[in-house]
Amino acid sequence: MDLQSLAMKPLRGVGGFYAMALDTVVAIPRRPFAWREFFLQCWFIARVSVLPALLLAVPFTVLTAFTLNVLLVDFGAADAAGTGAGIAMAQLGPVVTVLVVAGAGATAICADLGARTIREELDALRVMGINPVQSLVVPRVLAASLVAVLLSAMVSLATLVGSFFFSVFVQGVTPGYYVAGLTVLTGSKDVFVLLLKAGLFGLAAGLIGCYKGISVGGGPAGVGNAVNETVVYAFLALYMINLLVTAGQFGVG
Amino acid sequence: MSDIASTPSTLHPRLRRTFGGFAHGWNRIGRQTQFYGLTLRSIGTAVVHYRAEIIRLVAQMSLGTGALALIGGTVVVVGFLTLSVGALIAVQGYNQLSGVGVEALTGFVSAYINVRIIAPATAGIALAATIGAGATAQLGAMRISEEIDALEVIGIRSVAYLASTRVLTGVIVVVPLYCIAALMAFLAARLGTIMLYGQSSGVYDHYFDTFLIPGDLLWSFVQTIAVAIVVMLIHTYYGYTASGGPAGVGEAVGRAVRASLVSTIFVLLLVSLAVYGQSGNFHLAS
Repeated sequence: MDLQSLAMKPLRGVGGFYAMALDTVVAIPRRPFAWREFFLQCWFIARVSVLPALLLAVPFTVLTAFTLNVLLVDFGAADAAGTGAGIAMAQLGPVVTVLVVAGAGATAICADLGARTIREELDALRVMGINPVQSLVVPRVLAASLVAVLLSAMVSLATLVGSFFFSVFVQGVTPGYYVAGLTVLTGSKDVFVLLLKAGLFGLAAGLIGCYKGISVGGGPAGVGNAVNETVVYAFLALYMINLLVTAGQFGVG
Repeated sequence: MSDIASTPSTLHPRLRRTFGGFAHGWNRIGRQTQFYGLTLRSIGTAVVHYRAEIIRLVAQMSLGTGALALIGGTVVVVGFLTLSVGALIAVQGYNQLSGVGVEALTGFVSAYINVRIIAPATAGIALAATIGAGATAQLGAMRISEEIDALEVIGIRSVAYLASTRVLTGVIVVVPLYCIAALMAFLAARLGTIMLYGQSSGVYDHYFDTFLIPGDLLWSFVQTIAVAIVVMLIHTYYGYTASGGPAGVGEAVGRAVRASLVSTIFVLLLVSLAVYGQSGNFHLAS
């Protein structure tokens, strides 16, 4: 009996998550849309993620540019540094966005909603006849998606600018060759896929953060564990989405 | 907002706020450094006096607690993350390289990028997300329910007992975890390239074996251990100093994850610049 309920627990979690995701999708077109909450959440998520995004993107870029350029210099193809940076932007940009959206955005959403759940604010809303999914979850999920797309644009820019400075001023690549090489392997299609990925990341991370936040229980340890699980599940889901979208973009076999 | 309204007004409030915030930031850095120093110093005490706690933590951290243990714990999470990144290398590397007609070099990309960036970064991040955030949640809950104060009262050195043991355990646990991470990344890249894209295994293995530098792999272990120490220090600090009730614990976990992600990447960057240097320790002809 105990073993069975233990085995059912993850399944119940998955079921609860899907139920809340469906509720959210149904509630998105329903009036009134919580515009005020939406803008506040956009600002909140952007505020917690912009600094980590920049602090992650720039060193990651320098690390990548360094590793790739060392290789290219040895090949005698340092002029292709721009091509490498283009690939790094299209392929590593989403990874940085994953880290920021899951590590900064989703945790902040979960901690915030979890605190409200623990203080029984959600029950109070229900008592007043307000649907918490419509008034709290929908604006958060949409805000996470929007901010993720905007963040990925910023991360891409930071990647390109950072690797330009590192390649040109530290490793002595010709700036003209760098710019010319950018678009050899990376085209507008890659940029669209990058933005699409970011939108999906934001959606998934927002949903996971909200689900873990509204299903918090068990006092301080419960909130801490919920945020911990949010990070882990968001990472798992987002890496999987990243892999699947990339495989879909290039085709398999 | 409310505490601003309740404090009496002072001369030059804006000036005070600006410089007060500045001084507060500096003081926080000082307190963090002090805590880290104390934690690292107390590792000796922890090894001598709290050996049972260390062994208990090793078991707990490698398998995870609560809902995470049900999906297989830290080992599975780390394995899965590096597996998906390794597969990404296969998909991206093969396609981009075939764009310039050298898809035979996918094995080389796996041996080079996996070891230098992807495997240590992913392992460090997975460590922060699972073990690190778990430690913050645990310590934060202990702080809120005043268990840490109780420890001090009954004469147990709380930093040594809680923080130092966790830092040490993080380092012990990360070594086998990183072995799994690196193996998974290599395996996923190889299987993806061979099974999905149909490259002959001989070509892949040839370039992989030629360019895999065993020394680099050892250095990436050093990188990961450095990352583990930094991550565990940050996460124990934020947990140990959590305040503000249940909401404060959630907040502390979030803040710790942000701080540790950023410092993971910085540590990787600094170590790899220090180890490989400008020349890159890369021997094309070898």
